[in-house]
Amino acid sequence: MEALKIIISGLLNALFSMAIAPLIEGIMRKLTARIQSRQGPPVFQPYYDLMKLFIKEDIESGDYPLMQRAAAHLAFASALTVTAFLPLGFGTGFSKFGDVIVLIYLLTFCGVCALLAGLAAGSTYSLLGISREMMMMIPLEPILAVALIAGALNSKSFEIATVLNGSVYNSTAFPVSAIIMLIIMLLSIQAFTQRVPFDISEAETEIMDGPLVEYSGPKLALFRYSRMIRLVIYSAIFVHLFVPWGNNLIFPLGFLVFWAKVLLFTVIITVIAATHARYRIDQAIKYFAIMLGVSFIALLLAAIGY
Amino acid sequence: MNATEIIAELKKSYDGAIRSADICGKGRFYIHVEPDSLKEVCQKIFRGLDARFVTSIGADERQYGKGFLVAHNFAFDKLHLLCSVMTRAESEAPFVQSISDVVPASNWAEREFRDLVGIEPIGHVYPKRLVLPDGWPDGVYPLRKDYPWNKVPEGFDENRGFDFDEPPKGCVVVPFGPFHPTLDEPAHFRLYVEGEMVRGCEYRGFMVHRGIEKLGDSVLTYNEIPMAAERICGICGCVHNVAYAQAVEDAAGIKPPRRAEFIRTIMLEIERLHSHLLWVGLACHISGFDTLFMQCFRIREPIMWIAEKISGNRKTYSLCVIGGVRWEITDTLADELKAVIDELEKSWRAVVSAVEKDKNIQKRTRDVGIADKNLVKEMSLLGPVARASGVPIDARKDHPYAAYADLDFDVVTAETCDVWGRLIVRMYEVFESIKIIRQCLDKMEKGPIQAEIKEEIIPGRYGMSSVEAPRGESHHFVITGENNRPRRWRVRAPTYQNLQGVPSMIKDRSLADMTLALASIDPCFSCTDRLEAVDINSGKIKTYTAKELEQLLQK
Repeated sequence: MEALKIIISGLLNALFSMAIAPLIEGIMRKLTARIQSRQGPPVFQPYYDLMKLFIKEDIESGDYPLMQRAAAHLAFASALTVTAFLPLGFGTGFSKFGDVIVLIYLLTFCGVCALLAGLAAGSTYSLLGISREMMMMIPLEPILAVALIAGALNSKSFEIATVLNGSVYNSTAFPVSAIIMLIIMLLSIQAFTQRVPFDISEAETEIMDGPLVEYSGPKLALFRYSRMIRLVIYSAIFVHLFVPWGNNLIFPLGFLVFWAKVLLFTVIITVIAATHARYRIDQAIKYFAIMLGVSFIALLLAAIGY
Repeated sequence: MNATEIIAELKKSYDGAIRSADICGKGRFYIHVEPDSLKEVCQKIFRGLDARFVTSIGADERQYGKGFLVAHNFAFDKLHLLCSVMTRAESEAPFVQSISDVVPASNWAEREFRDLVGIEPIGHVYPKRLVLPDGWPDGVYPLRKDYPWNKVPEGFDENRGFDFDEPPKGCVVVPFGPFHPTLDEPAHFRLYVEGEMVRGCEYRGFMVHRGIEKLGDSVLTYNEIPMAAERICGICGCVHNVAYAQAVEDAAGIKPPRRAEFIRTIMLEIERLHSHLLWVGLACHISGFDTLFMQCFRIREPIMWIAEKISGNRKTYSLCVIGGVRWEITDTLADELKAVIDELEKSWRAVVSAVEKDKNIQKRTRDVGIADKNLVKEMSLLGPVARASGVPIDARKDHPYAAYADLDFDVVTAETCDVWGRLIVRMYEVFESIKIIRQCLDKMEKGPIQAEIKEEIIPGRYGMSSVEAPRGESHHFVITGENNRPRRWRVRAPTYQNLQGVPSMIKDRSLADMTLALASIDPCFSCTDRLEAVDINSGKIKTYTAKELEQLLQK
């Protein structure tokens, strides 16, 4: 009975994030349109888009169609698995079966799927896209890891529920490391969610969506969907780690506060995306090299209790 | 120095090489040289006298017993002179000395008359086909007079691919085009890429060459050509329309009425406004800054509306007839236009100050697509590209036409030589255009808008006209002819020269900069290889393929 309950709670989380992710994307699109003096699509447009893509013909293309299919499904599945572990305004029984390290692995795996997708397509543009994606992943993934591990160090636990509860602030009265990490995460969140100015690996006007250039129909829908869900995941992790206040209120209240914060966070992402031009890969790498260096200092500080 | 002195100097240096020289009106002269001294004279003009290469023309004049004509046009911008160096080639197996090694800018122009007229430039540095596809049979020259305008030659293999050069060792070939999101028209760049660095490229274009020049000297009449000329370009069509009309007027000695000249000026500036606004928007879009792209297009829209109110069309104004214009700008329209540009000036100031403050855009555009003064000279680069490198050439000032001589405006320049400089130049040119339109509206006096043309245009005369398009100087060259149409009409759009500078601009640069560097010249390839037809009765839409369309045309 207990096992069933846990599985259901994990599934519930996955289903819930599947349901809400396109809505958040829709709100972002609408907001972008408003900033650009446009009418914009209805907020439910992403649902229609996904539905349309799912009922389209499934075309085999690229160098390795099987790998291409697998990449799309794996990307979607890994994103959903992360949501199963993640508290989304209500606790999940699933989270005690993994720790933050699993979280980091699963998130990295989403990026690996994009690499697989690009390799499978085998076109010059997709290969360029994955080489950019790889260059971005190398400095980026450690930044997230440092943030989570700093939290884990402070709370002396790797448990997801403990770490994802403002644990970065647990060290001293004035946690220097937490504030540094907060700034770094804010400065690099555009890259995690692959938005302008760091959507370099997809850059439509340069390399025509990079790894996704050969994708269409249901497979493209899976990739789009997992991208929307990843946005929810990163926003949720950010909110849990750095702005945890009010998350633990009784059910409807805590839930509403949590999602209000997530929404506010995506608004910030949208505004930044709408007011910037894309960086070049070498400029981005330089930028993240500095971020990474500073985040290691933050980790050291956290380790010695600041 | 004036035309007489230039001719005297050339005669002194190359005694006997110059057959004759004509000074035609203000600012135009023609030099006829012996074929053997063509290269020396052109070298002297290009290097010694520091002229700018404009274009080359090859014309078939065998039916008049004159063999083939080859002309190289040069511009002395500081002296306000346009000059054409002409020579003859014999009727059988025509050839001329190639000037491409001493005048690098003539590379394409010579290959073009080699392809289309069949005059061989002997000693050309890169004698590869340029305009004709590789499937086109050898020895068939479509621009010769004995070749019908609608004939597809025997043995034409339209499915044959291009013959490309070998890429250098260690480089991957990244195909850029024929279809790519940043190219709105087909053109193919084969980029040789090492990692993220572009090491070189090969360009193949002219995929949708429509043979408008051929139509001009075989099917259309003097007053029909402006309509075709306008369709050369999808953005700056009015420029070609005016440049053609002026070239014919120059050849025939027709002077359009003053009011017509003012109206031409106004419409040309309206076109520059919408073109520059479009370009700034597109540049932002390419660098991922969609918000500014949308704002630019929002600001641009009222200009399109007022153009439609004046001419009936958003873009193809059908403005000129020989000796005048079609559309009158009435007092109500003038007031509306004033209101539109006032509003535009206000909103454009906001955009300019936003862009100037934006570090992010500067990061992407500074030191990208470098074209230094040397490249500008060698390739005869034009317009905002030249001006952003501190070369103040502007046909409106250098070779005044329409009403520009009486107007007060500045030539905007920058010294950075990069995409950022081109962005700044274009943004500030918008204010100059607004200034020009205001002055025109104030100074314009009532009067006729078309000149009366009583006599027929005498055949065999030459005419040249340079008009400053938003992208640089558009040059038209006309030889008047019989049957109410020119014998030869040659068009040189600014992109023709600027595109030749792109390989140097992108070499040893990151691939991400390629799109911006290419876009920074505001390339303008020709479009339209399909046609959509709507059956008015049923509302059914049928899209013709190139093939079906061909069959329809041949019926």
